[in-house]
Amino acid sequence: MDHFPTNWGRPRNDAFDAYGTYPIHQRPQNGPKDAFVDGVQRTQQPIVTGTSVLAIKFKDGIMMAADTLASYGSLARFKDVQRLFPVGDNTVIGAGGDMSDFQHIQTLLDGLTIDEFTAQDGHTLGPAEIHEYLAQVMYARRSKMNPLWNALLVGGVKDGKKFLAFVDLLGTTYSASTLATGYGAHIAQPLLRKAVEGYENVLTEEQALKIIETNMKYQVAIITEEGVRISESKTLDTHWSFAEGIRGYGAQAQ
Amino acid sequence: MNSFVERYSATSAVGQLRKAQRLTEEEEEFSDAAWGSQAGFGNIMNGPPSFTVPNVRDPAAFLRLHTDDHADPNCRIKIQHGTTTLAFRFQGGVIVAVDSRATAGSYIASGTVKKVIEINPYLLGTMAGGAADCQYWETYLGMHCRLHELRNRERISVSAASKYLSNLVYSYKGMGLSMGTMICGWDKTGPAVFYVDSDGTRLKGDLFSVGSGSTLAYGVLDQGYRWDLTDEEAQELGRRSIYAAGHRDAFSGNTCNLYHIKQDGWTFIGNYDIAKMHYDGPGDVPGAPGGGYGYDVRLAAANSTEVAAA
Amino acid sequence: MPAMVSAAQPVQRSFNPYTENGGTILAIAGADFSVIAGDTRQSEGYSIQTRYAPKVFRLTDKAVLAVNGFAADGNMFVKKVRQRLEWYRHAHAKDMPIRAIARLIQTMLYARRFFPFYVYNILGGIEEDGTGAVYSFDLLIYFKNQTPAPGTAFPKHLPLSTVLPLVIDSFTSATERHIEVGDGLEIYIVLSKGSTALQSLQTIRGIQELTATNDGERVFVIRRELKKD
Repeated sequence: MDHFPTNWGRPRNDAFDAYGTYPIHQRPQNGPKDAFVDGVQRTQQPIVTGTSVLAIKFKDGIMMAADTLASYGSLARFKDVQRLFPVGDNTVIGAGGDMSDFQHIQTLLDGLTIDEFTAQDGHTLGPAEIHEYLAQVMYARRSKMNPLWNALLVGGVKDGKKFLAFVDLLGTTYSASTLATGYGAHIAQPLLRKAVEGYENVLTEEQALKIIETNMKYQVAIITEEGVRISESKTLDTHWSFAEGIRGYGAQAQ
Repeated sequence: MNSFVERYSATSAVGQLRKAQRLTEEEEEFSDAAWGSQAGFGNIMNGPPSFTVPNVRDPAAFLRLHTDDHADPNCRIKIQHGTTTLAFRFQGGVIVAVDSRATAGSYIASGTVKKVIEINPYLLGTMAGGAADCQYWETYLGMHCRLHELRNRERISVSAASKYLSNLVYSYKGMGLSMGTMICGWDKTGPAVFYVDSDGTRLKGDLFSVGSGSTLAYGVLDQGYRWDLTDEEAQELGRRSIYAAGHRDAFSGNTCNLYHIKQDGWTFIGNYDIAKMHYDGPGDVPGAPGGGYGYDVRLAAANSTEVAAA
Repeated sequence: MPAMVSAAQPVQRSFNPYTENGGTILAIAGADFSVIAGDTRQSEGYSIQTRYAPKVFRLTDKAVLAVNGFAADGNMFVKKVRQRLEWYRHAHAKDMPIRAIARLIQTMLYARRFFPFYVYNILGGIEEDGTGAVYSFDLLIYFKNQTPAPGTAFPKHLPLSTVLPLVIDSFTSATERHIEVGDGLEIYIVLSKGSTALQSLQTIRGIQELTATNDGERVFVIRRELKKD
């Protein structure tokens, strides 16, 4: 028994020699003996990644926006990637994180909607159900230490109810009237909150679109009772002239 | 794509079978034993309950990574510990005395922990090391002791109970269990104390103390211990030893819980505030000297020199 | 400590299945009631994820569970506890008593001994004998609240009229100095059968009753705003 209390309640480390009795006995590796086990790849870090997705509630539904860039490390690798994905008639999901894992999620959701369709029981999946499904999938995968490396926004309208929620690679979930993933969570979220919180049932589609556009973006999805509309990729007017005045940016002689 | 097609052509018998298989696999986690009031212990007949283990190469290393506040103070999971416990055998039975402090790192997480686990009316276990490990496995041991009674129409011996526990924790050796416990009781052979720890050690003896304050407790215990102590003297010795450890060991303290096991089972003698014992003593209890253990004694010496000087 | 020699191998650190989502929960037991409270902010690092994510959940009319730590584990844990309570209802046609729920939670936590739920739980409610009870759990086990030793008066039970302002003040001051606490406060109150504390609840602004059965115990919730900065 190790009588030193800060060592209690934690795994005994047989490779750690508290009494300095070196040379110590080395235990053989107790891991799996399967020679192929090293060949099994899990997503332990994302490769091709997307970042920000923004979403807000407005009077008639949910508006979600994402840029179309997928990066490979710091390289802007793919410049027109769809990161908004409609599921059924009432829901759109937007993804940040690893794009291949997102494609896998799309496959899962396709399977789910087909299963649901073939049941022909008069029920369709709404945004709340899709979100619950994704939360379970994400949490199960993290518990297997084999996560789907994404942050997902799920937005939609069904039976007059607006729904907007988040789920990430750890299975963490939450909902709010404005949500953002990636850098958007740090940069756009405070602005969105200021513009939207308390006005969820007042903002018109035009006002909502304006809010989204002032916060950048290329592609916009609008989900209302009537259904889903996802725009073509748009180019945003950006204004970087102010940057000329910033020290250390652009051509400057000290 | 094959699996995709296969999946949706599943009106065949094979497809149905596969679906049924999948359902039963999922059910495995929740056996019938999880149903109703058996609360997961219901699978007692199938050996020890099973545990979820993270799907990594070395689960113990994973646990060490996330629970190791000794090497990494920022690690998320801190487990409560810190203790002085003691138990000894004498002509009048067994005395069990413990402190009540639980620490997580340098923080006192609780000062009212029950470190004596009442396994059944004749058996007590003490708690040092991971509180969870002790509480859980000694509760589990209690269930097995009851089964032993039902099967054999007599109470389990302290020796058998402690051996059951030590075999159990030995099967988890290397996985990070941490417990140092005394299994104490009275059986056909009279009073008995066994020390069992998570390394698999099991020792029979007259006198044990476990935990960070054990050395301090041993100091008092050894100088006052005799086989023919009276009940009152023995209880006082237990109290006094825990006081000594609680006073000098930072990881022990708050209060002392005292139990006495006799032929007809254990009795709870009392709960004593350690700070109060220092200044005022344990109160009007059998065996107490009257007055504080620490403060008065030192003051008396100082006062007497003053008197002498005057 | 003696000189140490470490021959530990490097550990793969790439995927960490845990995070910390902040917040505070507390519970106080009275003689014939129990108060369980938690803030509603959910955060990760310096980002507020949402201003309303409940951490306190009614399990039965006699038991309320508060969870804190890693939100995904917490929600999953509450879901699993509720499933087991539902099964119990089907098997026994009554709600599980709180001391049994405490044991249930202990075994459920310990089943994850080697892959712990990163959740700190507090369970508050009413025992079968009508007294208020609070159980607190670390990652793996539980401790019951201390009750006064026979013949002593400590710890003394406070009246509900003292406890409620105390809880609100605690959260207001925690909000003031801790970045992870704020936005909203939810206070659950569980009253035992015929509790005299009922009168003092009538006048409270915005109080809402959640009682579902006619067993006699009653559950209320009070919601208050906290600072959002």
